[in-house]
Amino acid sequence: MEIWITAIIYGLASSGILFLVSLALSIGYGLMRVVNMEAMVYYSFGAYVTYTIMSLTGSFILGALGGMLVGAGLGLLVETQLLRKIYNREMMFTMVVTFGVFMIGIGIIQFVWGLEPKPVASPISGIVKFFGGVQIPAYRLLIIVIAVIAYILIQLMMNKTIIGKALRAGIDNRENVEGLGVNINKIFTITFVVASAFAGLGGALNAPLVMVGPYMGFDMLLFAFITVILGGLGSIKGTMVAALILGQVINVGGTIWAPLATVGPFIVMFFTILIRPTGLFGKDI
Amino acid sequence: MSQNSLLEVNELYVNYGKLAVLFDISLKINTSEVVFLVGRNGAGKTTLFRTIAGFLEPREGEVTFKGDVISGMGAYKIARKGVKYIHQDKSVFGDLTIKENLELSSYATGDYDWEPVFAMFPKLKILLDRKAGKLSGGEKQMLLMGMAIIGKPDLVMMDEPTEGLAPHVIQDLAVSFKEISKTTTLFIVEQNLPIIADIADRVYCMREGKIIVEEGCREDIQDLCFEKHL
Amino acid sequence: MNKKLLSILGPVIIVALMIVFRYLFPNKITFLTEVGIFSIYVMGNNILMGYLGYTSFGQPFYLSVGAYSAAIFFAYFGGNIFLAIIVAIVVGLLLSLVLAPGLMRLKSSYFTLINAALCMIGVFIFERLLIDVTNGNDGLWFRGNMAATPLLDVRYPKNFFFFVLLILLIAFYLYQKMDKSAFGISMKATKANPEKMTFLGYNVFKIRSIGYAISIMMSTLAGSLYAINFGFVNPNLGENTRAIEVLLATLIGGVGSVFGPFFGALGFLGMKDIVSTFMTRWEFVVGVLTIIVLFKFNRGIWGLIEDGAGLVQRGRNKKTVKVGE
Repeated sequence: MEIWITAIIYGLASSGILFLVSLALSIGYGLMRVVNMEAMVYYSFGAYVTYTIMSLTGSFILGALGGMLVGAGLGLLVETQLLRKIYNREMMFTMVVTFGVFMIGIGIIQFVWGLEPKPVASPISGIVKFFGGVQIPAYRLLIIVIAVIAYILIQLMMNKTIIGKALRAGIDNRENVEGLGVNINKIFTITFVVASAFAGLGGALNAPLVMVGPYMGFDMLLFAFITVILGGLGSIKGTMVAALILGQVINVGGTIWAPLATVGPFIVMFFTILIRPTGLFGKDI
Repeated sequence: MSQNSLLEVNELYVNYGKLAVLFDISLKINTSEVVFLVGRNGAGKTTLFRTIAGFLEPREGEVTFKGDVISGMGAYKIARKGVKYIHQDKSVFGDLTIKENLELSSYATGDYDWEPVFAMFPKLKILLDRKAGKLSGGEKQMLLMGMAIIGKPDLVMMDEPTEGLAPHVIQDLAVSFKEISKTTTLFIVEQNLPIIADIADRVYCMREGKIIVEEGCREDIQDLCFEKHL
Repeated sequence: MNKKLLSILGPVIIVALMIVFRYLFPNKITFLTEVGIFSIYVMGNNILMGYLGYTSFGQPFYLSVGAYSAAIFFAYFGGNIFLAIIVAIVVGLLLSLVLAPGLMRLKSSYFTLINAALCMIGVFIFERLLIDVTNGNDGLWFRGNMAATPLLDVRYPKNFFFFVLLILLIAFYLYQKMDKSAFGISMKATKANPEKMTFLGYNVFKIRSIGYAISIMMSTLAGSLYAINFGFVNPNLGENTRAIEVLLATLIGGVGSVFGPFFGALGFLGMKDIVSTFMTRWEFVVGVLTIIVLFKFNRGIWGLIEDGAGLVQRGRNKKTVKVGE
């Protein structure tokens, strides 16, 4: 019994990271019809910056904040200098361009930090004991808490602020929002930077759990894709639901049969798409 | 004449890629006029509207509004200057409530006074928290017109506002057009002849990307429409 | 006239050039063999990208399926090289029959991503699921099992080079035939406007499925040639990281043309060859190249050649006009 509860809670932590990292992809597609593959650069940089700051100052919090900031900065740079110019191009074009940016990002990481994977120590090492002998590392719980806070913040932003309302309206019909006098590009830049910061945060939070290496973005790219495809491209709610499902598939599935942790998400996505070609919450766009 | 001219389109040419769709369009809308644009499907009416509203850039020629050149300015800036454009597809933001839809209009213009909207369309006040996607076609059009008049724009352009609506709804809308036209200049693409005959000050007729007739004499408008448009 | 001549002579010229290079730079024979194989792989991808409008981030999957089909055949069933290649093509056909009904209904963005996922599943299958058959990450070695072939023993690299050229030559002519056929045109029409094709009474799904099947079979063919060339196969061949290589090569060559893929393969592998002499990891270069090609060079090498030929042609036409006057 304990093993399943443990798996479920681990799953929630995975869901948290997946959600944070996938957000940039989901918003990029929803609002601008760009599959921005380079989003994983923000994730990787988030992890690396955390590593560097942590080895300099010993503070994980500073590291994570730094990772977020760098993620946001890169997002701002890429959105204003590149993405904005290619929004109207065909999907194939933008996908390959952003993939090119992703490769450049990997190249820069190799240049700055080298090829060797960097270990990041877990900032809190305690173990929380629950009823029935369930033991969960406190760090996983911390991830869940942070992801929940992030989700609440995003929901507040989407539903209570004018930026969120304009964003939801823009996902529906971009042109009409502009027609009302709203500078949708500015709205998108702001949102994109926020999403990039979350991707950086995802990288920072995941750093102690994985090896921080140049290709970490690649592994995550696939999982982030599965998340947004499963949820439906462009739906933030879908992204959240898909992250929750996949977290459980990875951890509970992996407990049932270890290889399911890697391949389970692909199988789930594969069959979902065959049955529902636009994902769980996606619109036909 | 030029003292009260609000919108001027001068020798406008528009392309879609290499395909030329509008040729040498010149027209003028004066303050507080109600002007209709008629023509067959594919004549270029929507393209002209989209160009004026800033969603397309002209290849040649320019659009001026209140004496300033607005072509090439970017759609949201044009909207803020006081040109509101209601699309043909009646696409309100379905995911947002009526209130949120109105908030978006107010945010851009800084005008949070919704009383004129509710005075014209009392139904919107009742349905304030309803998701706009759940409204009927007529209600959507009301919402769109309500959103358009927030911020007291000088010019409201509507692309086939009555298309696909039930006859009694169209009658209500015709009343609203008259109401709006008291404070705002209207430029409307329309196929509905009774409405045109009823409230038009002038009519432009387009065919194959050109303006072929301009008719300002009220008596002739109905004849013109029957003759050229049908 | 000019075009017809080009279509007959083009493949021969390319193959002849390859042979000239082979004797000009004798130590580059492995490189040239790889260019030949990679061309076939890129031609397969070009059908998806240039004819059907689908960008696949999963081509390495199909390549590795072909490679493993051949490898498993050699390791467990027999030594006949021709049979191994046929097995790989047939496996490609079967695979496309299984996948096409699902994949060909998808919008291009979903297609891209599903293919990326396929890549991951493929690596998983060959590395873990079939570890007893494939030896996982250690790779499957079978060079000793390959039997000699009559006339030209293709087990030797210098002979294999000619064998690859022969296959490339055949592939060129078939590809050209496809390009000019009603089917090739209907694929491009489907890419441009699927709705209209449906209205015109074409079965868009069928057109796409056939195109997809050809593309997959070319990939598995290339995969089997890779396997024979190296004498072993490991799961790295099918990794996602390599998906960009074939996309970039297709773009460099010129999307949607018959000879573009060859020049793409040559250009891409040539650049890789040069860059790798002074850089061990070359992601950065690939990324920069991708962006340059996309923004500044979007018709590829073949586009340049066509422009060049067009200029010559126009020059000539002008002359003939003058003579006529």
